[in-house]
Amino acid sequence: MDDDLSQHYQGSPELLMFLASTVHDMKNSISVLSGTLEHLLTNVPATAAAPVPAAAEPAQYQQLSQMLYQTRRLNDSLIQLLALYKEVGKPGYPFDPSPRSVRELVEQVEGQARILLQSRGIAFETDFAPDAIWTFDEELVIGVLVHAINNAIRYTRDRIRLSVRVDGDYLELRVEDNGDGFPPAMLAAGAQAMDVRDVQVRFSSNSSGLGLYFSSEVARMHRHRQRTGAIALENGGELGGGCFVLRLP
Amino acid sequence: MTAMVQSDGEIDWGAKRYLIVDDFVGIRQLLRESLRNLGAKHIDQAASGGEGMMLLAKTRYDVVLCDYNLGDGKNGQQVLEEARIRNLILPSSVWLMVSAEKSVESVMGAAEHQPDAYIIKPITEGVLLTRLNRVWIKKQIFSEIDQAYADKDYLRAARLCEEQIPVNPLHAIDLLRMKATLQLKAGDPLGARKVYEQVLEERDYNWARCGLAKIMMHDGEVEEAQKMFQAVIADNRFYIDAFDQLAQAFQLQGKHEEAFDVLQKAAKLSPNSVPRQRTLGQTALRLENIPVAERAFRKCIDIGEYSVAKTVDAYFGMARVCGKKNDTKEAIRLLNAAVHQFGGDQVTLRAKITEGLVYHETGDFRRARKSGDELEAMLADESRHRPDTATCLDMATLLFAVGVKEAPVGLLCYIARNNHDNVPLMDELQKIFDKARMGDEGTELIRSSRKEAADMMNKGVLLWKSERLQEAIDWMRVARHALPHNMRILFNSAQILISRLQQTGYVRELADEAIEVLMHVDAIAPGQPRFAQLMEQLALLAPVSGVVAAAAASEYEAANGAVPDS
Repeated sequence: MDDDLSQHYQGSPELLMFLASTVHDMKNSISVLSGTLEHLLTNVPATAAAPVPAAAEPAQYQQLSQMLYQTRRLNDSLIQLLALYKEVGKPGYPFDPSPRSVRELVEQVEGQARILLQSRGIAFETDFAPDAIWTFDEELVIGVLVHAINNAIRYTRDRIRLSVRVDGDYLELRVEDNGDGFPPAMLAAGAQAMDVRDVQVRFSSNSSGLGLYFSSEVARMHRHRQRTGAIALENGGELGGGCFVLRLP
Repeated sequence: MTAMVQSDGEIDWGAKRYLIVDDFVGIRQLLRESLRNLGAKHIDQAASGGEGMMLLAKTRYDVVLCDYNLGDGKNGQQVLEEARIRNLILPSSVWLMVSAEKSVESVMGAAEHQPDAYIIKPITEGVLLTRLNRVWIKKQIFSEIDQAYADKDYLRAARLCEEQIPVNPLHAIDLLRMKATLQLKAGDPLGARKVYEQVLEERDYNWARCGLAKIMMHDGEVEEAQKMFQAVIADNRFYIDAFDQLAQAFQLQGKHEEAFDVLQKAAKLSPNSVPRQRTLGQTALRLENIPVAERAFRKCIDIGEYSVAKTVDAYFGMARVCGKKNDTKEAIRLLNAAVHQFGGDQVTLRAKITEGLVYHETGDFRRARKSGDELEAMLADESRHRPDTATCLDMATLLFAVGVKEAPVGLLCYIARNNHDNVPLMDELQKIFDKARMGDEGTELIRSSRKEAADMMNKGVLLWKSERLQEAIDWMRVARHALPHNMRILFNSAQILISRLQQTGYVRELADEAIEVLMHVDAIAPGQPRFAQLMEQLALLAPVSGVVAAAAASEYEAANGAVPDS
């Protein structure tokens, strides 16, 4: 056993308790916030049904949508900070891979993203083999994909596509958009995220650092027969914009 | 699979009864809104674990959405445990545990009462619906297996798992896991071992590694098992089951210090388990580490307060701790509290034993002797049940120590008669006799007690083999009365009853008698292959499969307390 790590927990049970109850409170607040916003957004008629030019939409609706977007970003960051605190990637992290249906995975990601995307007039497309089964930690993978979609919202013009396919010994999950693609700095950060020698740099770069670090650790935790998961950022893909790629063995 | 997918739409979530348990009103409103959007009309809400229990006692809910973190009082896990143990939720009910973050409990391995699924906040309608559908479908797949399991027809349940595997690839791993569990229950560790090995070829699941190592440990491959548990812990530091098992592996090797160390780590990672704190306390007590024993037993009593797992052992342990600290007054107060709170002959008897031990250890030999005399008087009362073997051994040791002779000899002979073919236990009895300076006398007593039991059994077998079944049944009733805990006699007794039923056809009274005998033997020695075989034979004889066994099982539990699920 690696005693340094267990010391970490042994030393501060009170801090852990305090943290847990604070997180509980924050999650409750975020739940109520995003739940209420989703409720308000679905109850505003017409706009949700057909995306119209942004200028024609009531300002209030736009503001609600913006609030939901920011709430989701908050939630993403909270998930990632927590994972970081619990040392995602280390043996102390509650990693729980099980056989899951790809259809259910897509369903749940879509369920989390649908109203936000609708409210911003972004079309969401999915492409997957409905009968496929793969073994992974569902909570973590949903976290990574939803974050990738929230991220794509920033870059896309009006389309985001989630595709999942079995590629040999890997499950390849792609979040693509039809924007101008990731800027070079982002692509470089994406490449760095998978570089094991460069742990320090992965943190330092910028605000997208945490998300990339989280995603790369989630990918790395998935291991099967000497193969390890990975993430990548590319430009191009089906929609010609930015692509986030998660590959799981 | 495709058929399953299509059947999703047929589940009418609107017609179900829902209970939401959350201490935060905003969340309750939000969840209610989501459920209403699914068409739900009957939705109850509770703001605390206690309120939740009250509603659960009144209504059988189809779906319970329960927050894990409920503030003061019971937490979500404790509400679930109590609801399950008090039978307040139907086997078909869905229990979703809601938590703020990825829960450590979900990957701990051996939490005895797992919810059907964990959901992390914030909950969106889509995720809620997907999880509800998923759990529902899984329950459909497992319903017949669970029924056979509840009826203790383990062999049939294992076969049902096998049948489901090819048609349900998504649940293949869960079905294999269940199959291995059932094979262990049916006393087929070899079969279970094969299943675990098969699963491990596919992927390194920690539950399969732990399952395999547990079997290896019981097969005497203790060191290999120890390494496997350590590998699981290295891989997942929250896999508490591996800690508990590793401690046992150390204990089997006589490495009590190492076992103690592991238990302490486990208790730090997951302090809210009554059995874990109890084991820690008992191990600490054996090592004379009084401060740790005290902390563990105190914690055990504290968490027991809100838990159905509350145990009298914590009170006895704590009394021993007080004795070690020369505080006999507090020890006696605790023992009185234990008798008052738990009651019953067994508890009264064990409290008296502990009292004697405490007096003896603190050097108050006069009072220790008085406790011994009182124990002797309690034993003389034939109408009372004898306690389990471990308690009998403790009691005999104590009685010898305080100078009583006849009662402990009687106890040890009783154990020898009831376990006549258990050789390691006979060695233990001999050691107690040796310590009391009665070595030769003890050897002779053990020999004659064992012979007495063997003779009784043989007479039954002879009658059975010579087809005098009615006489055999009558004789086995006599034998059972004389040796109520002798496994061989109990099994033979059930076997003869079943032979009779196979001859005459189904007779309710005889079947119930056989079931009662089998339930009793399963309670004192779970996981025997003969139990599984006889239950299966019996189930085949019953006019309506399963129902009779279930009724008898619950009757037995009502009369004798829950059959321990080991």
